Amino acid sequence: MKLQKLMLLGVFISGTSYAEINISGFASINAGKVLSGSGVPQYGVEPTFLADYPNVSGYTEDLSFSPESLIGIQVSGDLGEGLSVTGQIVARGVNDFDANFEWAYISYEINDNWTVQAGKKRLPLFYYSDFFDVGYAYVWMRAPADNYTWQVFNYEGINLLYSGSIGEWGVSANVYAGKEDDDDNKLLSDFFFQEPTREIWEDMLGGVLSLSHDWLELRVTHMQYTNKRFRSGEPVLWDGKDSRDGKFYGLAANFDFGDFFVLSELNRLDLDGNLDTYMISAGYRFDAITPYVMFSDFEQEGEGDTESHNTFAVGVRWDFHPSAALKMQFDRVKDDSFELAVAGDSKAITLGVDVVF
Amino acid sequence: MKKLMLCVLFLFSNVAFADFAIIVHPSNESSFDESVISRIYTGKEKSFSNGNTIIPISQDSKNPTTEQFNSKLLNKSASQLRAYWSKLIFTGKGTPPKELENDSEVIKMVAANPNTIGFVSASAVSDDVKVVLNF
Repeated sequence: MKLQKLMLLGVFISGTSYAEINISGFASINAGKVLSGSGVPQYGVEPTFLADYPNVSGYTEDLSFSPESLIGIQVSGDLGEGLSVTGQIVARGVNDFDANFEWAYISYEINDNWTVQAGKKRLPLFYYSDFFDVGYAYVWMRAPADNYTWQVFNYEGINLLYSGSIGEWGVSANVYAGKEDDDDNKLLSDFFFQEPTREIWEDMLGGVLSLSHDWLELRVTHMQYTNKRFRSGEPVLWDGKDSRDGKFYGLAANFDFGDFFVLSELNRLDLDGNLDTYMISAGYRFDAITPYVMFSDFEQEGEGDTESHNTFAVGVRWDFHPSAALKMQFDRVKDDSFELAVAGDSKAITLGVDVVF
Repeated sequence: MKKLMLCVLFLFSNVAFADFAIIVHPSNESSFDESVISRIYTGKEKSFSNGNTIIPISQDSKNPTTEQFNSKLLNKSASQLRAYWSKLIFTGKGTPPKELENDSEVIKMVAANPNTIGFVSASAVSDDVKVVLNF
């Protein structure tokens, strides 16, 4: 009798597994405006709060819903025996909700701990890169903009992933290799150079190691790549060469004591000199209400007028529904550069709802 | 009066701290402690100490047993847990435990599959499953 039941269950599982399709998704509807700001008069930029560099999500003094609102749908097909295919389509308000495949990969589980993935994925430079678009997964309105400034945020390549535990520590690690050739890079084309700019990051090779134990989580990462760039079709030269090498280093540490938590991140990109970023944040969970503060900073090493900006933010997250959170955040940005100014000083308020389904 | 108060207190504490148990298939000889259970239910521990792949079974997030399990063993509220899993789901790094509707569904499943582990309210435990931890 028991055996029969087991067999029935077996038939049930094998009968459905090869055709199993999972659909899940996330969305953020955010609105905001600049309360006051300097803009960048020397470049004709009006008072702007640049909330997301790579997607060029800029708020101005007119209330707008489009800079950061987005909807994402993930479809995953389980083919059985460890093989699956996943696609993630994201439509962003800042691109008039044109839907694009931002992730598209095939995944093979070698065993319980090892998985190999190939295709198009998010470039996992920072702690929040991988789930940057899933506002529900973190406390703030957005991952700190001063840290998440890099124009390339996806790659096509291969990724080997380990997930398991060593003693009482949860361990997750991956190594990846790939390339991104972005024909018309949004941040460089639309914002910085205002001319069609093709940005190439090739020979990317990177690794990430995350460790977690009880209230502590640590993440270290390194990535290196070769950068090539074409402005209006003409190759950009750096010291007479048409390519340059970049090396990225990152360290994140999170301390979560249940109600009180501290999040931190420290990063360096060495690309003809060091570009240093860091972020520190703390919050307290009063049941469903979580107030928080955050400070983030970007500094280019060197003498004189280097790129330098920071953000102080204070906000609150309210989990008013099992799958939705309401957030409100005030940001004060200081931009200390003249020639390398990004969007000038600004004070801005944003309000939004994040959902997962 | 005193008796009544004690009664009320007893009732109250019973409601707030109803017991629950972690159950596995009777043939499963693996050892468990709170930290292992917590790692299993956050996708960090993938196989039993006997080497078999673990299939963790959860319950509907609205069930009181689930709430107790989440707060006692995972130290997370339902929304924190949802945020945790959404970060894994949308990055291709993991899938949350399968959710069944109630205690009897979990017991049925765990009794039928030697690779599963589940949690149920203590009063629901039957001889078809083996209790490895009591709370």
